[in-house]
This record gives sequence, structure tokens and C-alpha cells, in this order.
Amino acid sequence: MKLLVEASSKNQEFSSDGLIVALEGYSVESVCYYTMDEIREIRKQYSGEIFVKVNRNFLNEDLDSLREVLKELDSLSIDGVFFYDLAVLQIHKELSLSLPLVWNQTHMVNNYRTCDYYYEKGVTYALLGKEITLEEIKEIIEKSKITCMVEVISRPSVAFSKRKLVSNYYSDLGEVGEKELLVKEKVTGDYYHVLEDSYGTCFFLDTITNGTSVMKDLYDCHCPYIIMREYGIPSFQELVSDTKDYIEGGCKDEDYLLKYKKLGDSTNFFFKKTIYKVK
Amino acid sequence: MEKIELLSPAGDLERLKVTLLYGADAVYIGGQQYSLRANANNFSLDEIREGCHFAHQLGKKVHLTLNIVFHNEDMDGVEEYIQEVVDAGIDAFIVSDPFIISYIKKNYPQVQVHLSTQNSTSNYEAIHFFEEEGVDRVVLARELSKKQIEEIIKHTSCDIETFIHGAMCTCFSGRCALSNYVTNRDANRGGCAQVCRFSFENEGKKDFTMATKDMNMAEYIKDLMDIGVRSLKVEGRMRSLYYLAVVIGTYRSIIDDLYDGSMTKEKMKVYQERLDRVANRETSTHFFMKEADYTDQYYSGRGEASNQDYLGQVISYQDGLLKFYERNYFEVGDTVELFTPKGDHIEFVVEELFDEDMNQEEVARHPDNVYYIQLLTDIDIPEYSMLKVVRRKNESIQS
Repeated sequence: MKLLVEASSKNQEFSSDGLIVALEGYSVESVCYYTMDEIREIRKQYSGEIFVKVNRNFLNEDLDSLREVLKELDSLSIDGVFFYDLAVLQIHKELSLSLPLVWNQTHMVNNYRTCDYYYEKGVTYALLGKEITLEEIKEIIEKSKITCMVEVISRPSVAFSKRKLVSNYYSDLGEVGEKELLVKEKVTGDYYHVLEDSYGTCFFLDTITNGTSVMKDLYDCHCPYIIMREYGIPSFQELVSDTKDYIEGGCKDEDYLLKYKKLGDSTNFFFKKTIYKVK
Repeated sequence: MEKIELLSPAGDLERLKVTLLYGADAVYIGGQQYSLRANANNFSLDEIREGCHFAHQLGKKVHLTLNIVFHNEDMDGVEEYIQEVVDAGIDAFIVSDPFIISYIKKNYPQVQVHLSTQNSTSNYEAIHFFEEEGVDRVVLARELSKKQIEEIIKHTSCDIETFIHGAMCTCFSGRCALSNYVTNRDANRGGCAQVCRFSFENEGKKDFTMATKDMNMAEYIKDLMDIGVRSLKVEGRMRSLYYLAVVIGTYRSIIDDLYDGSMTKEKMKVYQERLDRVANRETSTHFFMKEADYTDQYYSGRGEASNQDYLGQVISYQDGLLKFYERNYFEVGDTVELFTPKGDHIEFVVEELFDEDMNQEEVARHPDNVYYIQLLTDIDIPEYSMLKVVRRKNESIQS
């Protein structure tokens, strides 16, 4: 089981198997973006796997430059590109690129048959949805031919809007403010980070999903990749290092689990099934 | 040139019939499984069959939503369900999952597949992908401008459908799980709790809200026709019969007037007033003519209004007596308007009112009871014509 990490600031070193970097202008739902030049430099200097996020919803006017970006990433032998918009897959096909792709339709990667559909279309990886249970994840890993990735530790991204929701809020107040808010949902008491950039507004739950307790299950079912995102996680480098050791030890070290209880007791949807009929 | 399609929502069989009678060319409905309005009444297989039969007799179509984001467990039985609803006579599926799209196109090539707006498709390369998968129509993301829609149509060959009226999502459709996190209700399987209409505390400041106004594209139907949009979609499978009758009837009139060249500013003003009158929220055109901004949202704190205009639903008209189910209170002396599925509008003062046993009444105050009004007209008044208030007897004409 390999470990990928997404950092929330640049120039850090991690003992993970690979890095996830968000390409500036072409990705969303991140807090740290890299230019193509920076990615080129990372590729030169870093021997681990490098995955690049190209996960925006694209418009017609983005398509020409998107083509060039995908060609460039292909030439850099990037290990994988996370995509949301099917334009990426279509261009990938039209240009016959060898760049591996990661199906990353945030909340929609939820079943093994659709994973297999994308596999048949030439997609190598699928980052599974964060709103499905561990049992569903294990079934997908077991039944699908696609190489699965599971996000285990993060403050999860919850929604993305094209609207400038923070600016709009301040416009109504007649004020100018930061492009960031921390707001509290009144019934649950949960906090959400609302971050705006030029492509829209992203919501992150301000509660850490602590998936340390599911790692052994994932390891045992031969989950190929797990992902941890730094945003809002304290002592992240140490966590990455400890997690790497934990995996290499066969996910048997109880001390690791005890140590990281401090990340909190939220396991997000790993053990909680959503409902949809309320009658 | 093929006339643009007016596509109506229908949450149940009665709404299906009414919206088709009021001028929809097609309806979209949800079955009791796999639909993104899990908490609407939705259609049983028998009702789907009856609805398709009714629509086809009128030369109209029925589209079935199969647009949830599937979990493993949802795949169990979906193939049998697809077979059953195809046999029931549906004309098209509205789907978001590409595996389901490929399954339908492979096994039922005679049935159309429309890509749901749940995919938030916003460029022509994404559409090329789905065209190659056999998709017949794409329902575009609601975040697009006129220019972007026009450009998509120029570069693609499948039909393009756009929303023209009704509630909007704050986030990209499909790219929002706020409902899952806040209420544990799965937004992408039909359980959306509309958390984007909640208010959130922002310490020391006014509450943070993000609710959007509704969409109203009445003034831009000609633009959509001119750039080649194939179908105009109205949102609202859970809306009332009255709302749908007014909205669909009004858009029918707008489209027909534009085609026969009889549209005038004065007529558009009347149509817009009708749409405004049934709206329970303010409206805007969102991204169509500009980037959506704070004026497209409810930061100003305006609440949602309920509407008491709807007075009754006509059962029959015979020998000068209009028989109807009462829906809201009214009384003798009120000025009311009767409108029919054919687009006729008759304004009159209620002079005599009778209960079901023909006892004279002064007021109608029992919703769902049957009443009669005396009315003399040569206009054909079929079942599902509706009564609405124009003016209460105590209101002045100026008001």
C-alpha cells in the first residue's frame, strides 16, 4: 500500500511514496498551487511518484491551453493526472497520450462498475469518494480492475461552487474582506472553511477525518494507495513518516494508533452510511 | 426547422397530464428508484406506463430520470429496472453515470439517453466524449453564459438542453456533498437537504448565507432559440400543480408567440407578470448574461413567500356552471381569472357561488370541497382549467 501526500505549503520533504501537486490555473480544492515550471523542477529533483491535479470544471476557452498542459505533463512522465472534467479524458484520447489518469470526480466515484467503465476507457486510477463506507470501498477494491486510491486523513473538501461566495457575502455587507471564512453550521455545530479563488469557492470541513483506524483494513484488502492531505493537520511531516513506518510494518503497530488518536475521533463516512429517503 | 422543445417536470401522474395539456412537449419524471428526487411521489411502473400512453396519444414524450450517482448496492437490479421502464414506453433516460449510459446504448439503442446536468458539463470536449458514447442530448451545466452555450452548439452535434426556470444549486451539480456532511442525506442519490439554503454563523458578523435566487429566462427564450438550443427545461418535480400549469402555460405562449412573430413588449410584460406572480423567490438569469454575483443570491435576507392566488381546479363546465375543487379561500365579489390548458384567460367577478349541493354560499373556505360558480362563456373550458384571484372585493383596482 503506497502513501501519497498533498502538502499545504511548498518546499517540504516527506517520506511518502509520492506527492500530489495542484497545477495553478487548472485545479481546485487545494490550498497550495504549483506552476508548470515548479512541477518540472519537482520532477527533476524528486524520485518518488508525482501526481498532478487538473481537476477544474473547464470552459470552452480553457481547452486549447488544457491540451498544451496535458502534452507537457505527458512529456514530463508524470505518474498520474487527477481529473474531474471529461474533457481531460477526451483530449487524452485525441492526443493518444500515455499519461496515466486518475478518475477524481470528487463525490461521484462510488461503485465498482463505473470504475471498471473508466478502466476500459484507459483510466488507470480512481480516487474513491469520501462519502462511502469502508465496506463499499473494500468491495470496489476487490471487484474493480482499476487501481484504487483512498483518502484517509484530511480536512475533506465538501463542495465547490463557481460563484464567488465570499466576495459576494462581503459585497452585500459593503465591505472588502479576505477570500476566506470560517463558518459554523448551526445545528451540527461543525465548522467549515470557505475558501475562494478566481475559479470559485471551495468548502472544507474543519474536522479532521482520522482514518488511522481503517488503514489496517485497507492494507489487508490490498488497497494500492492511500492519500493524506496536510491542510489543517498538525505535525504533518511526522505523521507521514510514522504512517509510512506503520504501513511498512504491516499495519500492526498499536502505538501508532494510540499516538494518532490525537487527530480526533471523526472517521467521516467510513462507518456511517448516508440515507436518501426520509419518508 | 424543428420547434424547440418545452420540457416540464412532473412529480406524479396528475402533474404529467396537466403539464402536457398546458403545452409541454415532453415531461421528465422519476421512477421509484434511481431518481435524484427520492422524496417526491415519483412514478410506479404502472403509472409510468399510463403516463407514456397519455403522452404518446398527444404526440409528446416522457423522459425518465435515472441520474443518481450509483453506489455498489444501487447496481443490484438496475438492469431489470431499465428493461421494465423501456417496456413501459419511456422515450429517453436522463443519466449521469457513464456506465449506465453505455449499458443502455448497448442494449436499448432505440431509446434516447440524455446526459444529466448532474455532470455539470461545461465545454465541448466533454460533450465529444459523451457523443462518442452515444449520448443523444446533453443537459448543460447551469453555470454557462450565452456565448459559451453558443460555442458548445457550434462544436457539437448532439442536442443541447438548458434550464430556463426554477430553483438553482449554489454549487456545481454533482460537486456538492454539503447535504451528506450536514444532514447525512446523500445529495447525489436524491436526498439533498438543500443545505445551501441554510445560514451559517460567522463570528461577530452577519450570518453567512449562499442561497441563490431562482432562474427565470423568459426574456431570453429567443436568444436560446437563435443559438440552437434544442430543449428548454423547467425545474421543479416537487412543485404544485398550479405553479406548473402557470409556468408551463406561460412558456408555451412565449415560445408560440416567438415562432409566429406575434410577440410584443406588452405581451412579454404580461407573461413575466404571470411568472413573477407564482414565484416564491426572486429570480435572475444567473450566468447567462454576466458572471453571477451577489445580486443573484439572498444576501439581502429576503424570505420565501407562499402564494394564495390559486383558488380552484376545474372539474367541468356545463350549462353555465363551473364545477371545481376549491384550493384557497375566496368570496362572492372577488375578481378572479379562469385560465385553460389551451391558453385562454377569462377575468370575471364572482357573482354567485354554490356548494356541492347547490346551496348558495358567500364564501368558499373549505379546500378540496367541490363548489360551483355561475359563468357564461363560449370558450371551451376543459378539466384542469384553473381559477386564480385577480383582486379581492375589498381591494381597489389601483392596488
